[in-house]
Amino acid sequence: MHKKHIAITLGIMCFALTIATVIQFRTVDNTNKTVSSSLKENALRDEVLRWKEKYDNTYLELAESAKTLEEVRKQATQNDTTSMAKQQEITQNNMLLGLTEVTGPGIEITLADNNTGLTSEGNEVLDISSQLVHNDDLIQVINELNNAQAEAISVNGQRVIQTSSITCEGNVIKINGQKITSPFTIKAIGSPGLFSGSLNRIGGYLYFMKKDGVYVETKQLDNITVEAYNGVISYKYIKIKE
Amino acid sequence: MILMAIVIGCILGAVIGIYAPLVPYTYSGYLAIAIIAALDSVFGGIAATLKKNFDLKVFVTGFFGNAILSILLTFLGEKLNVDIYLAAIVVFVGRMFNNLAIIRRYYLSKWTSKKQENEQVESAEKTEETSK
Repeated sequence: MHKKHIAITLGIMCFALTIATVIQFRTVDNTNKTVSSSLKENALRDEVLRWKEKYDNTYLELAESAKTLEEVRKQATQNDTTSMAKQQEITQNNMLLGLTEVTGPGIEITLADNNTGLTSEGNEVLDISSQLVHNDDLIQVINELNNAQAEAISVNGQRVIQTSSITCEGNVIKINGQKITSPFTIKAIGSPGLFSGSLNRIGGYLYFMKKDGVYVETKQLDNITVEAYNGVISYKYIKIKE
Repeated sequence: MILMAIVIGCILGAVIGIYAPLVPYTYSGYLAIAIIAALDSVFGGIAATLKKNFDLKVFVTGFFGNAILSILLTFLGEKLNVDIYLAAIVVFVGRMFNNLAIIRRYYLSKWTSKKQENEQVESAEKTEETSK
């Protein structure tokens, strides 16, 4: 009996110790991939990771609060026609600004770097750079989509709004301050036929990208969801002219 | 039976640990200190067993108590802006080395005494043979 007791206690303790150790191993593996030789740099990296975590948590809270606000607003305006109209206006404006998730018929374009070094005809490529998807390519495609009357566009989950910039950051592309990388999925809501016709025409931008060997795929969809812009739109200088 | 319980505990812990959710990075420091404290208790337990004064109650309270206390002290240090966890690491790891030294000496003396016995037996056999 006594021996059994000891065995069970030791087993439970070993269980606790290994579970904690394995979780810690995985946590460290997940966050601190490179250990710097300098103590100070490690401390700074520590700080950055901690702040990032805090930021993510706060951001989640913000999203939650926005949801509650929406609900409260809905409840408050339920029995009042004027405020109901205002509420509808707000919802409509948010949709136009790109602050809500929207859905409708549209097109999904996938652009990806080609890693084979061969063009579409099977020849070896002279300039490997031409087989990569650059920020210019994304800008051109978005421009063509806008030309074909796109009503909402997103790239890898980042909604394109008035203030969106698409820049080259070395080996990644930055949009809305977020880094994204190949493969790029561009989603647009609008007339699928119009999109397809204007994008896939001979001599169009995608035609040349395909010819260079970039992986290009377009899919017409009856129902596509474009994500909401998840930043804060703030204006400092503009005013309505009297 | 005790060995079996330990092995089963370790395997179960490893398997569940692999599938358990990750600890937020902010708290991984506390977990690390707790692990060090627990490891220190384990080595202390082994050393006590070799010295034949192992007490399960002392061992269990040391295992969990040290872990929790070290977490609390680290937390306090964070609030006071003093790196108390450094002191905890120094104490625990120092004790770990002490206990490891005890374990090493125990097995070393066991090994050498066994060897001497064997040599004595061999030499005795040899003298017997020559006397024949």
